[in-house]
Amino acid sequence: MTFASIIGHDRQKDLLRRALSSGRLPHAYLFEGPAGVGKRLIALALARAIFCQQGNGCGDCAACRKVDHHNHPDLHFVEADGSAIKIEQIRTMQKELSYRPLEAPKKICVIDDAEKLNLAAGNALLKTLEEPAANTLIILLTARPDALLITIRSRCQRLPFARIERKRLMEVLCEQLAIDETEAHILASLANGSFKKALGKDRDLYIEGRRELLKTLTGLSPGSVLPLFNFAEKLAQDKEMLPEILEIFQAFYRDLLLYRHGRPESELVNIDLMEKIHRVANDESTPSLLGKLSALDQTRRQLARNVNRQLAVEVLLMHLVA
Amino acid sequence: MSYLVLARKYRPQSFEDLVGQEHVSRTLVNAINSGRVHHAFLFTGARGVGKTSAARIFAKALNCERGLSPQPCQQCPSCLEITAGQGLDVFEIDGASNTGVDDIRELRENIRYLPSHSRFKIFIIDEVHMLSINAFNALLKTLEEPPAHAKFIFATTEPHKIPITILSRCQRFDFRKISLLAITEHLRKMVNAEQVEISDRSLALVARRGEGSMRDALSTLDQVLAFCGNRVADEEVQGLLGMVDRRLLLDTVEGIVEHDSRRVLDSVRRVDDLGHSFRRFCQELVESFRALVLIKVVEEPGDLLETTVDELAQLQQLADRGGVEDLQRVLTLLVKAEAELAGSTFPRLTLEMTLVRLTHLPPGKEIGALLRKVEDLERRLAGSGPVAVVAAGSPLAAEKSPPVHREEPRPTKVVPVAESTAVAEPIAAVEPPLAASAADQASWPELVQHVRKERPRIGSILEHGRPVRFALPELEVGFVAGSFHLEQMKDAETAEIFQELAEGFFRQPLKVRIVAVDGDYGDRVPPSLAEERRSRETGRKEQLEQEARNHPVVKAAQEILGGEIVEIKPIDKESPQG
Repeated sequence: MTFASIIGHDRQKDLLRRALSSGRLPHAYLFEGPAGVGKRLIALALARAIFCQQGNGCGDCAACRKVDHHNHPDLHFVEADGSAIKIEQIRTMQKELSYRPLEAPKKICVIDDAEKLNLAAGNALLKTLEEPAANTLIILLTARPDALLITIRSRCQRLPFARIERKRLMEVLCEQLAIDETEAHILASLANGSFKKALGKDRDLYIEGRRELLKTLTGLSPGSVLPLFNFAEKLAQDKEMLPEILEIFQAFYRDLLLYRHGRPESELVNIDLMEKIHRVANDESTPSLLGKLSALDQTRRQLARNVNRQLAVEVLLMHLVA
Repeated sequence: MSYLVLARKYRPQSFEDLVGQEHVSRTLVNAINSGRVHHAFLFTGARGVGKTSAARIFAKALNCERGLSPQPCQQCPSCLEITAGQGLDVFEIDGASNTGVDDIRELRENIRYLPSHSRFKIFIIDEVHMLSINAFNALLKTLEEPPAHAKFIFATTEPHKIPITILSRCQRFDFRKISLLAITEHLRKMVNAEQVEISDRSLALVARRGEGSMRDALSTLDQVLAFCGNRVADEEVQGLLGMVDRRLLLDTVEGIVEHDSRRVLDSVRRVDDLGHSFRRFCQELVESFRALVLIKVVEEPGDLLETTVDELAQLQQLADRGGVEDLQRVLTLLVKAEAELAGSTFPRLTLEMTLVRLTHLPPGKEIGALLRKVEDLERRLAGSGPVAVVAAGSPLAAEKSPPVHREEPRPTKVVPVAESTAVAEPIAAVEPPLAASAADQASWPELVQHVRKERPRIGSILEHGRPVRFALPELEVGFVAGSFHLEQMKDAETAEIFQELAEGFFRQPLKVRIVAVDGDYGDRVPPSLAEERRSRETGRKEQLEQEARNHPVVKAAQEILGGEIVEIKPIDKESPQG
């Protein structure tokens, strides 16, 4: 991976390149931005640029290959062990960092999902993060910078990463998945600027499953309760997919909201279902749409707190068809 | 030598360098000068304000070979050692990594020996809040009476996590957040030393990003310098810090103030296209609305707002278009949205929803004016009833003696349950009714209405009750014996709530009794509201039928067609023309 082969993030790449060339590379970076936009790739590209024997991250020299294969002796990864990064891991890392680099000019440590540092581990990191040994670079990656200790944030140079632009994402999707533009548009919109999402397991759900789901949803009526409960049961069974399904619903109601406010088609998500949007939007008012979107939001929050799934979905559907 | 970030390169080395903590440095300097140096110190305060630096400077001052002085020489081996972080007699311990009781035991073992070549053995425990409770307790005795050659300095951002027994053994220093001005001045010194060209405006932006922490500001400056080199352009700084363009921001504010949902949605799209963080945008919106509220409330808001004159004029214009209440409502919703955005999976939608909601806010009315209106209405509606009662009731209320009232048995207990003649209880004879009570049967419907408003369930039960005795402060409510409503009202809780509500209504303590009455008790007991309504309705129905029969059209139809009237149905109860 070189900087050039990573899509998007031109500003960030530029910044890192300049810091590298001017020798103003700090000892700690905090890469923050949505999941799956390429933070880790950038970190690896940076490591390669620093380690490379040619000095340009060529990809052919021994150092570059070692970075690519994750077996460079001076490149360390700390990842969550279970649900959290624990203090033992940080202690091991600190010990590792106390030695001089073996081959490369620097030792680099990448802490992935830094928001998973538990309290003890996070605090144990503070002194190292403030004044590590010379020739050390610590890179923290996180999707939720606010979940980090404020004292950690203050010790790093923060580098925010933005979502990948939709247009850019669309182009890549068209190219890599060989799908048409409409589908790419939908996929890109739902993935919300994250490659991981657009290319991951959700693809089928987003394209095919979505039409089915929305058809069933709009087919429900407040009068007949039975189909509603059946639908709720079906949704609640699929624990893994439920968040994504709610996202689809959210996107649909957002479309209605935007449609009612006369936004152009390019901003909507479900552009293959314009007819349905047109039909449903006429029955809705702005306050009712806002109410439904709030209900969706609330359900998402409830599901994150381990409620009775089916009950939550039933209540949600009743809100939605009301 | 690898690159040192500014915060490390320019770490203060003497008390004079310490920015914004004059109260701390002065106390420490005076302590040294007067020779009254405590043996344990606790430095607390937000991140990046100078706690660790102060601890190191203080250690230097204590151990300087040129003698105990507030101005360490910076040249003797001891000073140099400490600056390099390798002092033999200064132990800088990471409290977060060495948390256990064993680490403290080791420290106690160590503390007994005299310092190797300095005056004091100094233990700096950073992040001390992470020590385990056992570790803290193991430290107590040592901390209370350490050997004469030992000094402790603790530093932490979270003093509330430290046991009170530790706190009481330390001299505590609270480090303040550093003012924007002080940070800016300090940054200016640094960029001069680094020979960097940067405008005051950009420097102020960087300083503001620090939010009172010098290290945060320096990290930001580091980043700016890494990106821009030695000539820093304003636009680059703005872009780098993810600042939203003022024009876009003001456009959005205008859209919200003018309730133009199309325009605010367009702003969201632009924010998305520019790749700004939605949260950042929302934060800036919050700041703008804060400015608007301030402009409304404060006469000379210039000092409170850090804006240019042009911006102020623009904001002033916008502020004129909305009321304070409206602006505050917008502000509240935005603050809420800002918090939601932090955890939102679909931030654009969250922002869109919030902004659309803001543009659909009905214009607020001033609460004071509304209250006045309601009072006015009440006065007009009330006429005689409760207003008179209130007037007559208030002197009574002044006379009342609450303890006596509380000793009264609960109303449910005095209710003679199954007797239909209970109405004739001789209580009336024992206690003559108070002459002052102005209320009469007429206020019964109002009382029911009042209860209904507060507790709809009890209200609807009361509709079936009859005001058997209405001589305040005594109130007897009758229900048909054996009826569901009687059972309901006999429930202790319900009765209590009713009593409270009734007392609130008449503003005086009452004796409420629930009694059973015979179903056909007849004229001696006034009818319940439900009965009244029913009889009124039958009367109306009869009248309607009569009218229909006598209606000329109906009559004509009967005559011409020779028909017969089978049924008469009122079409709509509410509209008589039906």
